[in-house]
Formats: sequence, C-alpha cells, structure tokens
Amino acid sequence: MLQGKLGKELLFLDGGMGTLLQKEGLMPGELPETWNVDKREVIRQIHRAYYEAGSNILLTNTFGANRVKYQNQPYSLQRIVETAVENVKCAAPDAIVALDVGPTGKLLKPMGDLDFEDAYEAFKEVMLYGAVAGVDLIHIETMSDTYEVKAAVLAAKENTKLPVFATLIFDERGKLLTGGDVPSVVALLEGLRVDALGINCGMGPEQMQSILQEIATYTSLPIIVKPNAGLPKQKNGETYYDVNPEKFATALQKLVGYGACVIGGCCGTTPAHIQAMVDACKGMQIIKPSYKSHTLLSSYGEAVELGKKPLVIGERINPTGKSKFKQALKEHDIDYILKEAIVQQDKGAHILDVNVGLPDIDETSMMKEVVAELQSILKLPLQIDTVDGNAMEAAMRIYNGKPMINSVSGKQESMDTVFPLVKKYGGVVVGLTLDEEGIPKTAEGRLAIAEKIIAEAKTYGIEKKDIVIDVLTMTISSDSQGAMTTLRALELVREKLGVCTVLGVSNISFGLPNRPLLNSNFYAMAMQKGLSAGIINPSSEAMMNAYYAHCALMGYDSNCQNYIAHCGQETGVIQTTETKQMDLKQAIQKGLKEQSHAIACEMIRTNKPLDIIQEHLVPALDVVGKGFEAGTVFLPQLLMSAEAAKQAFDVLKEHMRTGEQEGLKKEKIILATVKGDIHDIGKNIVKVLLENYSFEVIDLGKDVPPEQIVEAVKQHNVKLVGLSALMTTTVTSMEETIRRLREEVPTCRIMVGGAVLNQEYADMICADFYGKDAMQSVYYAKKVFAGA
Amino acid sequence: MDIRMREAIRYLGYGRSTVDEKTLQLMKESLVELEQLAKKKFVYRIFELEESDDGQLMIGKLNVKSRDLAKNLHGCKRGILFAATLGVDVDREIRKYEVLNISKAVVLQACAAAYLEAYCDEMQEKLAELFHKEGCSLRPRFSPGYGDFFISHQEDILRMLETSKKIGLTMTEAYMLTPTKSVTAIIGVYDTKE
Repeated sequence: MLQGKLGKELLFLDGGMGTLLQKEGLMPGELPETWNVDKREVIRQIHRAYYEAGSNILLTNTFGANRVKYQNQPYSLQRIVETAVENVKCAAPDAIVALDVGPTGKLLKPMGDLDFEDAYEAFKEVMLYGAVAGVDLIHIETMSDTYEVKAAVLAAKENTKLPVFATLIFDERGKLLTGGDVPSVVALLEGLRVDALGINCGMGPEQMQSILQEIATYTSLPIIVKPNAGLPKQKNGETYYDVNPEKFATALQKLVGYGACVIGGCCGTTPAHIQAMVDACKGMQIIKPSYKSHTLLSSYGEAVELGKKPLVIGERINPTGKSKFKQALKEHDIDYILKEAIVQQDKGAHILDVNVGLPDIDETSMMKEVVAELQSILKLPLQIDTVDGNAMEAAMRIYNGKPMINSVSGKQESMDTVFPLVKKYGGVVVGLTLDEEGIPKTAEGRLAIAEKIIAEAKTYGIEKKDIVIDVLTMTISSDSQGAMTTLRALELVREKLGVCTVLGVSNISFGLPNRPLLNSNFYAMAMQKGLSAGIINPSSEAMMNAYYAHCALMGYDSNCQNYIAHCGQETGVIQTTETKQMDLKQAIQKGLKEQSHAIACEMIRTNKPLDIIQEHLVPALDVVGKGFEAGTVFLPQLLMSAEAAKQAFDVLKEHMRTGEQEGLKKEKIILATVKGDIHDIGKNIVKVLLENYSFEVIDLGKDVPPEQIVEAVKQHNVKLVGLSALMTTTVTSMEETIRRLREEVPTCRIMVGGAVLNQEYADMICADFYGKDAMQSVYYAKKVFAGA
Repeated sequence: MDIRMREAIRYLGYGRSTVDEKTLQLMKESLVELEQLAKKKFVYRIFELEESDDGQLMIGKLNVKSRDLAKNLHGCKRGILFAATLGVDVDREIRKYEVLNISKAVVLQACAAAYLEAYCDEMQEKLAELFHKEGCSLRPRFSPGYGDFFISHQEDILRMLETSKKIGLTMTEAYMLTPTKSVTAIIGVYDTKE
C-alpha cells in the first residue's frame, strides 16, 4: 500500500500527540505510553481525529516505548505496543499504521554509557512487537544522534521486512545536537538503505525550508518533513507554539514545492493543523526524488565528498613497515595510535585509513576497539582497511557514519564477501583492479576489471557513486612503464566510467633513492589525471607541498588561502638560543617540551641514557613533585613537567640497547575507572605521572566491570591496582571491585582516588591506600615496590 | 580579570598563588576554543512548590525529601527547574587532549567548568529580571547531589524538562550528566513584597 505511493504522490502523516495529551492532563515527566491502556479512548479519539483530518499514515503512541526509557511502569512493553497498534487500527481501519520509534533518551558510548548493541537490542525488541502486531511501517523520529539512529535502523532492517522512515532534529544552522550536518545524515541513512528520510521537530515549517533544500541536494530518497507549529516559545516556563493551522498549511504547501514528499506535524500541531494542511496540499504534485551522484562518506560530525577537489587519505595507521606501530599494537598502546591519528588530522588529512592487521593479534577485536576510540575524538571519516571479512564487518557495524572500505578486488571471492556488507551497512568501497589472474599489465585490462567490479556491485543495488577505483601503483624500479600504465588507467577510469579514484602513491618509488622526490612528482601527475584521493603520509612535507600546490594551481583553493597557511607552517623552528642556556633539569621543571627533547638529543651524544635518567630526569621530577606537595607548583605545571620529561625519556629510550632497557626495571600497575563511571581524566593524570616514574601502566579505561579488572590482575600478575571513581553512585562498584580482588588475588594492593573519596571512605571500602592527589599515588607505588 | 578565568584558576587549585605564564597562556587558549566548541543550551520550567512540615517538598508532581533543599526553598511558592549544557564537543576535545597533552586537558576542563557556571549565572540573571517585574526574587541554584538532595532526582528533573530532546542532555545509570559539562538545578522563587 505504502510502496506504491511513496515518492510518487504526496503522503500525509498525522500531527502532535504529546501536546494534545498534556491538554488531557498528562503531567510533565509522565510517560504517555501507559495511556494506550489506561486511557485508550483518549488515544483512539486523537488517532480518529487525525484520520478524519486526512492523514494517510498514523503513528502509534509508542514514541518512548523502549526498555531504556520505559521503566518501572505498570504494563509490559509488549502490551503497550500491542495496544498502541490496536488503538490505531480501531480508530482508522484503512490507514497505514506506522510504529513510532523515538530515541532512548540516553547518550551512546563513549560520550554516554549506553552501549551501541544495547541500544540496538532495545529498538529490536519494540520493533519485533510492532511487526507481530501488524504495523505497516517503522517510523524512527526525533533523533539527535547519528549513532543512535544507526542502531535503530539496523534493528529494523535486521529483524523485520518493513519499510523504514527516519527523521532527525536539526537546528537552524542545519546541525544535530550531537554535531552532525545534513550531508552526513543523508550519507548514513542512504547507506543503511532506509526508504525515506527527513526532518522533524525542533523548528517550525519556515525554519525548515533551508534544511529541506539542503537535504534535497543530496538525497535520492523521498523526503519527510514534520515541523512543529512554529519555534517553541516559553511563557511562565510553559512551552507553547503559535503558528495557527492556516499559516501552517500555507508553509507546508511551500515545502512541498521544495521537495517534501511525506508531510505532517510535530509538537504543537493539532488535527486542525493537519486538516488545513491536507486541504491546502491535496492534489499537489510532488517533486519526484531523483538520483544524486555525490560520493559521500561521513563521520559523526561531517561528511566528506569525493570527486570535487582532491583529498588526502592519511596512511599512517598501519603497521606495515613500522616497527613502533607494530609494538604499539602488540602492547595494546591505543594512545600511540590515537596520537598518530591526531597528528594526521592536524596536518590536513581528510580521511584516515585504519589498518591494524598483524599476524599474532586478534584483528577483529583490535579493529573494533581502535575504530571506537578514534571516532570518540576525531571528526574525520575513517577508511576501514582490512582483508579480514569479520574485522571489516565488526568495524562497519560500530562505525558512527558511512565509512570508506579498503577494499574489494575483482576476485569473485572478495566481491562475495565485501558487497553484502556494503549493502547492509553502507560505505564507499575501494575497488582494486586485480582479479584471479593478477594485476593486468595494461591500462585497458585494469579498466575492464573496474567495469566488472561496478557491474557486480550493481547486482547488490550498490550504485557506482559508492565505488572508488584504485588502478594500483606499480614500482618503477621493476617496470619502467609502471607509472605510465597507472596514469593511463586512471585517466581511462575517470573518462569511461566517471567514478572516483584513489591510489596508494608511495609504492611507485620502492627501492629507489630520494623517494619523496619521486612520490611527490608522481602524486602531482596523478592528481592532474583526476585522482580523487591519494593515500599518503600527511606528515611528508614533499607530499603536502605537491598537494597544496596542485590545489592552488587548479583553482581549488580560493585566494590560495590553504597554500599560504601551509607555507607559513614551515617556518616554525624552535628557539635554539634558549635551549643552549638551559639544562635538562630546568627544561623539565619549566615544562618545556621542545627544549627538553632537543637537550636530550644533545646529551645522548656524550652520556649514557641510564645516567641521564638517574642524574637529570628523576631529580628534576622530584623537585617538581615536592613543589607540588608544598603548594608552590600546581597541577597544570606538574603535568607540563611530566610531559617534558616524557619527551626526553622517549629520546633516551630510542638510544638504549635492549640490554639497557631491561636494566630499567618496569613494575606493572593496572589503572581503571570503575564500572558506571565514564569520567576518567583523574585516572589519566595518574597514568602520566606513574609512567614518568618508569612504571608500566596497563590502562583498562573507564566504566570497567569488576570481573575485567580481576581478570587483568591475574593475567598480568600485577601487584598494584589503582581505581578511580567520581560519583558517590559509583563508589559502590569500587567497593565491589575491591571485594572481588580481595577474594581472588589477596596479595594485590589497591589504591583509590577520585573526587568523592576521602580517607574515611577509602577505609570503609577496604582500600589499602587513598591518594588525595596524583603525586600521592606515585609515592605509594614506589613504597609498594620498594618493599617487594 | 574575566570571572571565568578567576574561577578556573580556583578549580585548578591555585588559591591565592600567582598563576605561571604557561598555564595562563593555556587558559586563554582554552577560553577562546570554548567560544567555538561550546554549544550552550538551556531549558527551564516553572512549578508550584508545596512544603509540608516534615521536610517533604512537592515540586509539581515531584516529591523530594531533603532538609537542605527545603531550607534553600523555604518561603518560596514557585520553583524553576533548570538545566544547561555546553554540549558533547567539549567532552570530545577534553578527551582528545587527554591523549595528546594532559596539562592542556586539565586546564581546558577547568575552564569549561568555569565557562558553564558563568553561562548558568547569566541565564539565571535573565530569569531574575523576568521575575523581578512580578516583584519576585530568586534563590541560588540548588542541584541534585548537594547536601541531602539525592542525586537520583537527576532523573526526575531531566524527564520533567525533556532535556534529552530539547538540549541533548542525558544521564548515565550512575546519574552522571552527559555531556559532562552540564548542570541541573532548582531555583526557588520568592515574593519580595511579602
């Protein structure tokens, strides 16, 4: 019934529910869903009124019916959903019944504490009840978070065969409360293959016009618009809306002219608004949705479009040929990986490639963790780079946006693995022009494979715009025609197929001297042939010079702003004069990172690393630590000194022979912020200081369950654990953790800290030590291991 | 000196001591960054207050047992439920600096707290002006978690103000507000004429 009409003729949704129920006596904070059972007639009357006003699609009164929000209520969720569906069916026998699904009211991890999969399960539960009760459609609305909307759409798609609508709240600047913009939302929802998408709540019809126009620019799907009766206004603390039915109707008429295909009302709208809207718009022709060819990928906060100006894909999150990165992966040093990411972002990358494949690590779990961590602090979209189908799926599932996927090839097996994932989760996938026969020697051969990949994708419903072809860079030292073939293939693919392209550039110079010279020249040539994105090292000056020069010359850089800014950066040299008059102790005490790095580099020529540590580094830290205790040095300074010391320490470590590194005996300490607590800056401060004093910190992160802490203590055979808690409500889980540790590893010492704790409290929960500040934990750790 | 600067210095534990040049620089940077990062939003509603002799309070339909809150609201016939937030981007940025530069993270987080307080003060001042016209004045903000005002009431306040939909403010199972740079409070309204 719906599919025959959607996107072909104008469809009418209903109007506000909550505002009407408040008029009937619903109290602030009371859940409207219980009224499905308790005040069934009121609910049915409202549905009937909308139906009679001309709504084709009626929403069930289930906006807050999910187990996260709907708690401690008299009726089961199942009963609420069943009754809600029945209420619509009774009131409006031939209307399209849409299961209304609103947000959980919680923020998802890592910004909040609701796990993505728990959100998914909550949505799944309601959707299954709704499907069994016979709804025709799932209508997800009033979402402010792309991640939550992803969980909801996946739940609908994986557990029902019903059509899915999804609408979000944008503000007047076209942003979600969690930061996303219009193209990022369109990219995500089209990737997840919803049936229609749009905007609801937050604003009145007039304010929605510009957002609607922006949506229409990007989407190929029918657009839903469901405004409030104006902007919310407040009087005596009560919210009200003052756009009357006639004005509402006129405004909606206009919105149909801008591309709205499914229209209705949200807060403050009444059957009278809907009646006026239907009267005004009935019989209007909609603008039929048309195919949009933008190649979009997205993160939580922004979309990136390939194919306009050339883009930079940062290649540094990849262990290939990087021993430090390999070590970080093996030691589970996530911070190292995050730093690599931030540096690339700061250097101007637009997308980051993420590859964490190593033979002896669990790639799936590592990939999941790294993607989750990266997207908690980075705005850039990610390119998931793996040959392992499981790791690829795990990452695509939890990715907050529409990712880039690296890669699929022309091999049947590869396409059979990757395309179903792209179809399900959405993504822009890199197609490598190689197949069972290997890499074709000719440009035409590579073009043929690109064609094959695109054709096969089409059979999954994956459009050409979501395929990006990599014609592969071949080393010129082994084939002198390698560069020419690649460039020719690039040109052919752009011309004949009109798809976007990527290239891993640096392979061109393998085995030759002065590689940056060849790389950057080849990069410039490739961009000239229409390369959409190079996978390069954004910290390479030669490559970024080529990039910014190309953009400036080709008119992609208005007023050469980026070029000028890029050239300005290069003059940043550290003040050597100051360095010369300063020694390492002073540099550390003053918290000067660059200087202590430079001085350490200087000292290492004539001194042994261990001597520098013992005679300069440690004494400097001690002075700062004592100053902190005496109240003459304060926390920011203490930490600046710690960071400066770390700079020096990193230099020394590189120069230590393996034997010497072992001489630096490292005691292990586990740190964790306890379950339920998601604020861990205090723990991270302690971590930095402990590392300064040469302890090896195993950081379990935040919101860590007791059993995981116990497990880690056993596994690493650790003698000291530090726990932090910020809230009175989470001290109970600290207590529980201590109790379990005592039972299972009685020899392990436990120190605690955090805003709500004091000595008395710490004694009460049987901790061995209470650290009133970060330095105290260092002193205690020293004491524990000195005694051992 | 900017009030936010002064408060942030206090949060960082400097007391009366002079702040060093480098920290001062970080603070200035942080406050500039916050202008961009902070997506300030607030929401409020006014409720009738009733107080019984045994220290029970009715705020609309919400029943609160708290001597400290009762003391704070004594003589008030109405109360404003209030919530404000700086949004998630501030949390993300602090988290980023925790990885990159912990001293900056510490300073940014203190500045964000001061920034939030100043914003709440500013909004409360606006409300005070509104009520002044009616001959009423406002008591200081009182938040769940102060004294014996149980933190579990966080949930009631968020629900009564529909904060998750209106300003994107939610809480964890442990009643911690997320985004973390957020405030909920009740503000008593009393009649100055009486």
